[in-house]
Amino acid sequence: MKGKNTLLHQYELFVDHNKLILAIILAVIILLFPFVIGSQYLLTVSVKIGSYVILAMGLNILTGYTGLVSLGHAGFVAIGAYTTSLLTVRYNVNFFIALLAGITLAGIVGILLGMPTLRVSGTYLSIITLGFGEIIKMIAMNWNAVTNGTLGIKNIPKPSIGGFSFTVSNYGLYYLMIFFVIVVSCFCLALVRSKTGRALMAIRTDELAATMMGINVTRYKILAFSLSAIFCALGGGLYATLIGYIDPNTFNFDVSTMILSIVILGGMGTLRGMFIGAIILIALPEVSRFLMEYRFVLYGVILVVMMRFRPQGILGWRSTMPFKLSKHVQNELNDTDLIHQTHVGELAYE
Amino acid sequence: MRKSNIAILLAASITVGMLAGCAGHAPESGSGSGSSGGETIKIAVAAPMTGDNSEYGIGFYNAALLKAEEWNQKGGVLGKQIEIVQYDDKNTSEEATTVAQKIVSEKDIVGVIGHFASGVCMTAAPIYQENKIIEISPSSSHPDYSSIGNFIFRNNTIISKEGAASIDIAINDLGKKNIGIISIMTDWGTNTSSIIKDLISKTDAKVVAHEEVMEGSDDYTPAITKLNEAGADVVICCGMYNLVAPVAKQYKQINPDIKIVGFSNSYSQQLIELGGDAVNGVCFPVIFFSESDNEDVKAYVKSFTEKYGNAPSALTSQAYDSVGILLTAIEEAGTTDSEAVREKIAAMDYKGVTGDTKFDEKGDVDKSFIKVTIKDGKFVKLD
Amino acid sequence: MLIQQVFNGLALGMGYALIAVGYSLVFGILRLVNFSHGAIYAFGAEMAMLTISLKFGVLPGILAAMILTGVLGIVIDKVALEPLRKKKSPQIASLITTIGISNIITNLLIVFIGSEKRNFQPIFSQTTVTIGNISISMTQIMMCIVSLLLMSVLMIIVFKTKIGLAMRACEQNPKAANMMGINVNFVISFTFFLAGISATIAGALVSGYYQIVYPNMGFMAGLKAFAAAVLGGIGSLPGALLGGLIVGVSESMAATFLGSTYRDSLAFIILIMVLIIRPHGLFGRKGITKV
Repeated sequence: MKGKNTLLHQYELFVDHNKLILAIILAVIILLFPFVIGSQYLLTVSVKIGSYVILAMGLNILTGYTGLVSLGHAGFVAIGAYTTSLLTVRYNVNFFIALLAGITLAGIVGILLGMPTLRVSGTYLSIITLGFGEIIKMIAMNWNAVTNGTLGIKNIPKPSIGGFSFTVSNYGLYYLMIFFVIVVSCFCLALVRSKTGRALMAIRTDELAATMMGINVTRYKILAFSLSAIFCALGGGLYATLIGYIDPNTFNFDVSTMILSIVILGGMGTLRGMFIGAIILIALPEVSRFLMEYRFVLYGVILVVMMRFRPQGILGWRSTMPFKLSKHVQNELNDTDLIHQTHVGELAYE
Repeated sequence: MRKSNIAILLAASITVGMLAGCAGHAPESGSGSGSSGGETIKIAVAAPMTGDNSEYGIGFYNAALLKAEEWNQKGGVLGKQIEIVQYDDKNTSEEATTVAQKIVSEKDIVGVIGHFASGVCMTAAPIYQENKIIEISPSSSHPDYSSIGNFIFRNNTIISKEGAASIDIAINDLGKKNIGIISIMTDWGTNTSSIIKDLISKTDAKVVAHEEVMEGSDDYTPAITKLNEAGADVVICCGMYNLVAPVAKQYKQINPDIKIVGFSNSYSQQLIELGGDAVNGVCFPVIFFSESDNEDVKAYVKSFTEKYGNAPSALTSQAYDSVGILLTAIEEAGTTDSEAVREKIAAMDYKGVTGDTKFDEKGDVDKSFIKVTIKDGKFVKLD
Repeated sequence: MLIQQVFNGLALGMGYALIAVGYSLVFGILRLVNFSHGAIYAFGAEMAMLTISLKFGVLPGILAAMILTGVLGIVIDKVALEPLRKKKSPQIASLITTIGISNIITNLLIVFIGSEKRNFQPIFSQTTVTIGNISISMTQIMMCIVSLLLMSVLMIIVFKTKIGLAMRACEQNPKAANMMGINVNFVISFTFFLAGISATIAGALVSGYYQIVYPNMGFMAGLKAFAAAVLGGIGSLPGALLGGLIVGVSESMAATFLGSTYRDSLAFIILIMVLIIRPHGLFGRKGITKV
């Protein structure tokens, strides 16, 4: 085993040994954050970061794990945001039901968009998704009767349950966002460790080999598209309620590249990376206001420099810890007494 | 494996840096006064400072600086110097929400001059209203904007009044009856064109065709061809100077006799620079005209031109007066308490470069229009 | 009206074709979609505006802008893309790098020149030729002539010169070309130079046509030109020309018969249809996936 004495290894060992304490400390910090800070502005930024974490996790399923690069995820965000907002504003549907409708619709559209992946691959796929994103924007712009065209949807209500309204000022929206981020993270974690997750990663590594191993590549690709669309729609719905106003220009190409940049900056195929990526890219324009117009230049520079020097992303390291099989698999192996023959070594997953 | 160490350090340091920066409440660049130190009265200018339409935001900021400087030379307000702080909303609603949250979190900001587009104003306004911060928009024209709350004002006429003035030019001054409308596909353009259509239907003139065009494509010939085939003899152009100028150019290649009518937001030197000969004869109503004979206006135009090298546009001047209104109200109220200042603004009769300003109960103003046209590359009054 | 719109569309399409050529050249040799090409096009147009305003005359001005933009293309390749090739980074890395570069160029233009639309003085005389009830402006005619001329020059370079031979060799197999003594990196840089030059000519022609120039002009035009390149078969020069014309004319038709608001979506619908039905375009060669 190489790298036994590196900082990374020590860090990972430390985390592994103190899991519980670290988790409690982190939970306390996150839960008490609004009370310590108390500034609406910082809370708004935090909630914004939270929604981008969800968006990035959505794209990560597709780009990070399955290896399909999408340049049009703003389209899914738009579907989620528009469906949720329209149902709540026009028909007074409860936010959570509307959100469910939004992610369902996005999931279906995701399946439809996933179909062409049967025919094209690589760069061509990215371009189809780019076209998809732009077309969704055009539909939002031109379908006046439903989307209200360029005037957008105003006064999107904050979510509420039984009379309690989740706003920024009563910290409700912050905790709601934390809740959703945790749910999505847990789902992603479970997905990665499941058979499906391994199948997706096999497709990323070598599609042909995956097919040979009996993985139904088409089915898994469409599944990845659909899951990715669902999470992006979820993030979109939450984002819309935070901002309170959406119009077609909210979901332009910049949003798609923004989500992709978060995934890349943080580290494709990692969960931790999504957090750090979103924090950096969302907070950067806020912190660097003194840079004025140069901050957009800086944003481009980040992409170029990352690709040049650290394409795996800031947190895209290979774990130095020995690979652990999931409990479920371990039990099965125990049952068949195979565990002793399995070589547990450097099989690290990213 | 040393790379991973660097990565962790990098990640950690960036995160800490970000959080520290976030929490630091670092005020932004651009102090309005020459003097530093001591207590200041802060006024925020929130508008697009970068990206598209940044020329308007920078215009607002420049005008505000000029006004603040004038006051500071006289000793400021309430014995304190005035400081103008700029906030960039990139003219998008999502940025505006964040910016508005930031402004209300800053506590010591007395009032906000800004937000440029109506849609953006209307996203930010509820936040100001909720936190009792005075917002005066120099440019918002949407009918629903000022009714958001009693802390929300504007130093711009409501679009239906301006639209009526534009139609008046088309029908009465130019004597045309077949009106074509070309509008830009933004919230402002869509809204304005529908109001214009409504107003025209009440007159004896008629709308022969209405074409919408997208931002980001410069080829307006298909739309123009359709307007021309429909027999329009005057075109009302719902867009800013960057729509009016190319439309004028492309239209005059097809029909050199066409008359074009715009709105006050096309009153900018850039219209002439961009449009050249083609914009000669373009007419529009404004509430501020830099060639006016009024002494105050002359002095203002002179000092603005000296400082920034170009004549102020209509919206810039409206921002200049908006700052004046806010400062006068603070002085009259003798405090920066927003309730007291708000009452003074509501009761004020302010004589500025954009005419007399008197707010009605909603926070709207009614001003008389000057009809302006372009003759030989210069803005002149329409006879 | 129909024929008139066809002519308008042809002029528009020539502009797209000239931008599309840049995508095709780079894609042909690197299998890389150069997302920064739209920004390069805007850069070329802005530079042409600045150099023409220096009063050395229109032609020297455009020539200077061409060289500047060509050099920009080389710089992009040397600074950002060549290191990635050396590291044998995956395609996605290069793709994202070009998105980043596009961001940098556009925003630097905004910082130094300003985001507002500016006047671009007309290059050709403003007269119009009227045949029946169709009026064609001199600019439109000249746009077509210059585009065809440039296209022929590019074809000659690619198919008749030594460097063109090298380009085609690199396109087929860079490794083998390298062994045959071809300096692959030089050839790639030369390709970026050519792409920059054609983008500047496109920028100057289109800006001269609309008499407008601004830093964000490359975004939509770039995407549409890209659709044109894919439609014609990316990597093929005649394909880029044909694709550009098809996109231009159909866009003009859509604007007339469906309304101007639908014109932008049309290019993308064409793009998606082509990719699903015939992924290698009209003229493109079918790629063989090697195992």
